[in-house]
Amino acid sequence: MRAFRDALIAVALAATATGAMAASGLAESLLAGMAKTPPVSTPFVLVSYRGVLDRPLVVSGNLRWLGGDRMERDIAKPFKETAKIADGTITVQRGSGEVQRTPLARAPQAGAMLAGFRALLGGDVSALQKDFALSAQGSGARWVITLAPRTDALKRQLTSLVIDGRDHEPRCLTMTDANGDSSITLVGAMAEQGLRSAAPLESALAARCRNSGQ
Amino acid sequence: MRDHARVAIWFAWLALIAAVGWGVASHLKISSDLRDFVPPARTADQKLLLDEIGKGPGSRLLLLAISGAPKAQLAGLSRGLDDALAHDPAFARVANGDNDLAEVASDLLPYRYLLSPTLDSHRLDAAYLHAQLQQRIEDLSSPAASMLEPWLRRDPTLETLKLARRWAPSHQPKLIDGVWFSERGEALLVAETRAAGFDPGAQGAAIASLQKHFAALPGAASAKLVISGPGWFGVQASRHTRAEADRFGAITTAGFILMLLLAYRSAVPIVVTALPLLSGAVVGFALLALIFGHAHGITVAFGFTLLGVAQEYPLRVFSHRRIGIETSQSVRELWPLLATAIVSVCIAYLAFFASGVAGLQQLAVFTIGGLVVAGLCTRWLLPLVVPPARRDMAATPGLARAWHFLAHLPRPRWLPWLVAVAGVAVVVFAPGKVWQNDLSALTPIPKAELQRDARLRAELGAPDVRYLLVMRAPTAEGVLGLSERIAPLMRRLVAEHAVDGFELPSRFLPSIATQTARQAKLPAAPQLQSALQQAMQGLPFRAGVFAPFVADVEAVRKLPPLTPGKFQQSPLGARLESMLVQQGEGWAGLGTLSGVNDPAAFAALSKETGGAVHLLDLKGSTESLIIAYRHRILIALGIAALLLCAAVTFALRSPRRALHVLGPMTLATLLVLVVLRACGIPLSLFHLVSLTLAAGLGLHYALFFERRTGDEREDLRTLHATLVCVASALLVFGVLALSSVPVLRAIGLTVALGVAFHFTLSVLMAPAEHLRWEA
Repeated sequence: MRAFRDALIAVALAATATGAMAASGLAESLLAGMAKTPPVSTPFVLVSYRGVLDRPLVVSGNLRWLGGDRMERDIAKPFKETAKIADGTITVQRGSGEVQRTPLARAPQAGAMLAGFRALLGGDVSALQKDFALSAQGSGARWVITLAPRTDALKRQLTSLVIDGRDHEPRCLTMTDANGDSSITLVGAMAEQGLRSAAPLESALAARCRNSGQ
Repeated sequence: MRDHARVAIWFAWLALIAAVGWGVASHLKISSDLRDFVPPARTADQKLLLDEIGKGPGSRLLLLAISGAPKAQLAGLSRGLDDALAHDPAFARVANGDNDLAEVASDLLPYRYLLSPTLDSHRLDAAYLHAQLQQRIEDLSSPAASMLEPWLRRDPTLETLKLARRWAPSHQPKLIDGVWFSERGEALLVAETRAAGFDPGAQGAAIASLQKHFAALPGAASAKLVISGPGWFGVQASRHTRAEADRFGAITTAGFILMLLLAYRSAVPIVVTALPLLSGAVVGFALLALIFGHAHGITVAFGFTLLGVAQEYPLRVFSHRRIGIETSQSVRELWPLLATAIVSVCIAYLAFFASGVAGLQQLAVFTIGGLVVAGLCTRWLLPLVVPPARRDMAATPGLARAWHFLAHLPRPRWLPWLVAVAGVAVVVFAPGKVWQNDLSALTPIPKAELQRDARLRAELGAPDVRYLLVMRAPTAEGVLGLSERIAPLMRRLVAEHAVDGFELPSRFLPSIATQTARQAKLPAAPQLQSALQQAMQGLPFRAGVFAPFVADVEAVRKLPPLTPGKFQQSPLGARLESMLVQQGEGWAGLGTLSGVNDPAAFAALSKETGGAVHLLDLKGSTESLIIAYRHRILIALGIAALLLCAAVTFALRSPRRALHVLGPMTLATLLVLVVLRACGIPLSLFHLVSLTLAAGLGLHYALFFERRTGDEREDLRTLHATLVCVASALLVFGVLALSSVPVLRAIGLTVALGVAFHFTLSVLMAPAEHLRWEA
């Protein structure tokens, strides 16, 4: 009886593992299909939902992945800001003001975003898997990749990063912070289409990211 | 006496030495505190130097550079080392760029509006708050937004962050992976030891611990850790000096044993000669332990050098033994002369005891105690372990011929006077500086290491170790006020490139007056509330979100200002503690400087503050202390020389005989000075001590050659003894003179030259009628 039970458990475990492998295999094949040669540039619209604010904050501009762990983000509206990530350091300059430097290690959200872009655009999954558990759903035409932090330090700051996409293009990156704040970054075609309202509801925007309609 | 009884006594003697030595070693504390070594400070700066030497903020810093691996690995090693050192009690502070100062500042969160200069130029009114909140909105879209958000409700003007930036080093290397990197791609760290910078013992322990931490890190094997800073240099210098001394020690020990075998054709001297000297040394240490409880390392080194004279006592005994006569009989015959030498030298060293300098008093206690015990051991213990002679040293082949040669050398009476006059002329008129005041010149740091230190120091913006800015006031509050007043003047000096950077105590803690002024500018809760409401108009902040901020401001309005005592309990306390010190009745503030390009420019600063602020040159102050110390030594030596003359004259009961002993000693010492001066070698303390040792040895040579025996064979034994003593001294110190370490070379050269001159002159100036017995 006992041997039978153990065998059953073994089979169940094997099945689970295979399923997980299949899921992460999907993520990898999706990511491999999207790989591009840096530098890659895309317009973006960032909508932040913060606990301290009573309406979402919207900024837009251009994102550039320069290869490896180097990335730049220019905000054009509603103010001018240039942010660069390189050598593990975030450098931010707003207008012509003072340059602020922050170690990347202190801003896990920015680190997750960078890791996500590296994986999406460079197909570099290995770098991602060190800090995040990957899972994927859907098919090649419409898919969702979820990055869940592995380390306790990351988990204290970040709940998840969800990437929605269609075919070979990502559409939205949804970041959920441990404190409940969240932000949705529209990229590519979605960003070009822009927002339909000045202060979109989070649920409406999320639905739009997932929706196949447009 | 039977042989086995002798062996038993020998073992008992050795065991006694070992037992006393062990007991002393566990009780005597060898300190490296410079205060034990130098005379009491006279000027306020010397006093500050002695109180603070090596404790100063700059001199306790070790600069670390990790290289030889990919950057990501170097950054990991930097973090690992940072973490290990942060938990090591030997280190007060460590920084690698990764330290979250905001976290440190959070301890002082309630005081933020009193510590930050914001309120000096702004008020918490609607306009200022609106501008600040507008910026926060923009911050919330930044990639680093998550860092700011936790502070926002309590601290919308980000005062905590401003403080963290204010307290961060003014010049920071670039950050890679969140840690400091040099232009050459080395990961950089700064570690501050708790131990004083010039405490080689404690620094050695801290550095060993640091290296152990590093070696234990994963991936450390392929990377290279470079350490720099005053502590490291001190440890390196003493390690190098000790290694070289040990190497030469091994060579000379082998040579010495070989020489004893050749001279005495017996193994007995080898196992016995060291015992009186060792006995003297352990008793000397025991006296130091009993009387002082501790001794300075330099005192011990000098004392051991001076005690070297005692090495001669047993050698004299061995040379004077006769066939069929008990050793005790030979010793009894020699004793009056040996006792004269010992007592004279001890009386001379009493001068050191009267000098009033702890280090010199320790030296006197050690040397006098050691010499007396070595002498007593030679007189009463040595005969118990040495068997009667099987051969007479007078029969040594060639000895009679040597005596004949020496006895018939021409001895013009005018020659010593001519040599003396010429010698004095050379010593006085030779060009070049007479004294070496820079002790570090005796243990020089390799040029490559100095250049690397300068490079790392510049990259890290680490403070200069030579200069400190001293601010004096009757109270701590006065010092902090002074520090605030000179901050703009210092910024001007930076703009004029007189100095690259500075750090003043008021950077960490403003004076109570300033804090109170800032406090007075804080609005009451109702005003702040309405200003905030106005400021939030048109901005997307949720109503009431800043309630914690309003509560904090209200609380700080009633808070008593932060005092130095309270500040020192915070994690940043150690920084202020080293910059704000109580000194006697008053207080002194110590500002650190980096890259002092124009020390003269600080004169204006000193003038503008009525002398309350001035630049302290640590090198200059140390040198002034060394000069004061040498002055004391010279006076002590002068008195010692006079006492010696009196003692010898009294013992010999004849000024004429005394002149035959003291004349060669004086002239030989002068000749050593002539050689050193003619070679352009500036004299250091080590030269002076070496001259004293050589003079002690010379006293023996002169005393024995002056002795009127009337016995041909006894004179030959005297010559034998003297030749063995001279040869052994030349061997030990001549080899040391070849050292690459200047301090060892100074000792070796001086003693070797001294021994040669003392021997030659004591032969040439001995009364001729004593020597020519065949006539």
